[in-house]
Amino acid sequence: MPTILTTIPVSDGQPSRTALEALTRARQLATEHGWTCAAVALAPDASVVSDTLGRYGAQTVYAVSDATFAEPLNAPVVDALETVIREAGPEIVVFPSSEGVKDALGALAERLNAPALPDVASFSMSDSTVEAVRPVMAAKFRARVQAETSSDSPVLVSVRAGSYAAEESPVTPEVIDVALATDASSLRQTLRDVVRSAGGAVDLSEAQVVVAAGRGVRDEAGKALVEELADVTGAAIGASRAVVELGLFPATAQIGQTGKVVAPDLYFAVGISGAIQHVAGMTGSRTIVAINKDADAPIFDVATYGIVGDLHQVLPPLIEAIRDAKA
Amino acid sequence: MRFSVCINQVPDVSAPSQVRDGQLILDAGRVVLDAYAASAVEAALVLQEAHGGDVEVVLIGAQKASETIRKALAMGADSGVHLLVSEDAALDSRSVTALLADHYRASSPDVILAGKQSQDTDAGLVGGMLAEALGRPYVTNAVGLVQEGDGLVVTRQGDKGQEIIGLPTPCVVTCSNDMNDPRIPKLKNIMASKKKPVETREVSPSAPSLRTVAYEMPPAREPGQTVPGEPAEAAHELVRLLQDEARAL
Ligand SMILES: Cc1cc2nc3c(=O)[nH]c(=O)nc-3n(C[C@H](O)[C@H](O)[C@H](O)COP(=O)(O)OP(=O)(O)OC[C@H]3O[C@@H](n4cnc5c(N)ncnc54)[C@H](O)[C@@H]3O)c2cc1C
Ligand SMILES: Nc1ncnc2c1ncn2[C@@H]1O[C@H](COP(=O)(O)O)[C@@H](O)[C@H]1O
Repeated sequence: MPTILTTIPVSDGQPSRTALEALTRARQLATEHGWTCAAVALAPDASVVSDTLGRYGAQTVYAVSDATFAEPLNAPVVDALETVIREAGPEIVVFPSSEGVKDALGALAERLNAPALPDVASFSMSDSTVEAVRPVMAAKFRARVQAETSSDSPVLVSVRAGSYAAEESPVTPEVIDVALATDASSLRQTLRDVVRSAGGAVDLSEAQVVVAAGRGVRDEAGKALVEELADVTGAAIGASRAVVELGLFPATAQIGQTGKVVAPDLYFAVGISGAIQHVAGMTGSRTIVAINKDADAPIFDVATYGIVGDLHQVLPPLIEAIRDAKA
Repeated sequence: MRFSVCINQVPDVSAPSQVRDGQLILDAGRVVLDAYAASAVEAALVLQEAHGGDVEVVLIGAQKASETIRKALAMGADSGVHLLVSEDAALDSRSVTALLADHYRASSPDVILAGKQSQDTDAGLVGGMLAEALGRPYVTNAVGLVQEGDGLVVTRQGDKGQEIIGLPTPCVVTCSNDMNDPRIPKLKNIMASKKKPVETREVSPSAPSLRTVAYEMPPAREPGQTVPGEPAEAAHELVRLLQDEARAL
């Protein structure tokens, strides 16, 4: 039976939500076409996620357990995926489009001589054709792009965060352990350090609510208000490139073309003008609230609700009103 | 060290453009040096200024793209290679990589730099593909680059923070535009760039592995509303709307 294989990056013993979104899409397609839905997990102990992957419909789980996966280096990831793909022989390999995946996708495509559809907003398949919709030109437009599966190589597809909702569809997976062939001492790169961002309490890619700050936030006083709004709404904190450049927020918070793509239920854009490169990373949000003192700011074009005003005057009563509403 | 930077010419995303009958129409036909590739050029120039060496730029494109090579030379690169393709050549990351790999097998620079993605397509594949094709170690999405002996120390922006990676040469690094602000060439550098050597070679790209069927507009968002009133009033009304209408709180 043809196979669709989803790659599951694991961090802190958990598959990311975006990985489960990608797996859900793969499972839907597998059901529709009568294919096998398989997953591959890379982690120091990959077996810990097999139950979760079964819950989301993975009939087969390839578990590659190796201590090197605690470190974010690309060479072992490419090697492990090559091994599993050669063993499983999938028609399509699906990935969540994280920085870790982006780091490995090109090399893997080259090694397998496989067509790659990176960072897609949706994809489907018919016969041997995989068709994807990709945002292009800083997401001003979308391109409908096709690739063909073939007997000697799969089509690789990486899916943007928030493109599909993760849905359970429980099965009991068959777990196949696969050994990593890479010898750690043969690695030509060395990880010196990982400087984890201080970040907020909630992870951006997992968040239902995001409070994003722009250059209008300007200083520590503005930042404190943004943090308070995030706190009362249980939100993750995002940022525009301009305010990351100011050094007020870490680069891991950056949302947009260079930064992350998010699609939460609710997105607050505070002191953000709405440049296309920022909007490219957040237009998938269900409800968008914009707070900006310039009534002509382009962010209001994508906002569901806008308040024209100074954030220092708008945020304090807003925080209080939300606190009251939640009490 | 010998640096080579892969640069590309892209449509200016901020210029007027539209989709008609599934085609992408660039009203003014304005094209620019890709922002990510520009950061890669800047990164090479900064290291050259500090440690010496040579900076080459390589571009695959039609005749018109030669102006983008001049732009990089005006920024300070020493020489250019123009792998010339016909006006209607369809390129994708795969066919670009194959041509670049052919070039680099012959010239073998110590460090190859590229953009982390192209500004128009956001594909982000060339760097990794090229490294694999040449058998070089690589790091993507660099936001910092330091030369240390014969190697590099690269700071890469990862999912959860910054990863600091030691990389020997020969290697490939892809650059984020968050790494630096590319210099704007001064008039005297623009004049000087006209004397710099550019080698032009005709090449024929392989068939692309992807087929673009059509361009379309992104799904339109429902029109929004401005919540009126003084800050306190507007804040209360917003909370009511978020609860009762959007059901988002
Ligand atoms: C290739 C490329 C990639 C890029 N990638 C990204 C990306 O990933 N993410 C990203 O964000 N940007 C990205 N950019 C940059 C983008 O073009 C904009 O420069 C950036 O988004 C601007 O950030 P901003 O809205 O915070 O700042 P500004 O554009 O300066 O806007 C600040 C806003 O704050 C408002 N304001 C000021 N004071 C107040 C106040 N007291 N109360 C309320 N409002 C106030 C102002 O009216 C203004 O609208 C990229 C650019 C390029 C070329
Ligand atoms: N036509 C080209 N000529 C030379 N380099 C290119 C070309 N297209 C892309 N590149 C390089 O590859 C990077 C990423 O491209 P991509 O993987 O296609 O998004 C760009 O930023 C350039 O550095």
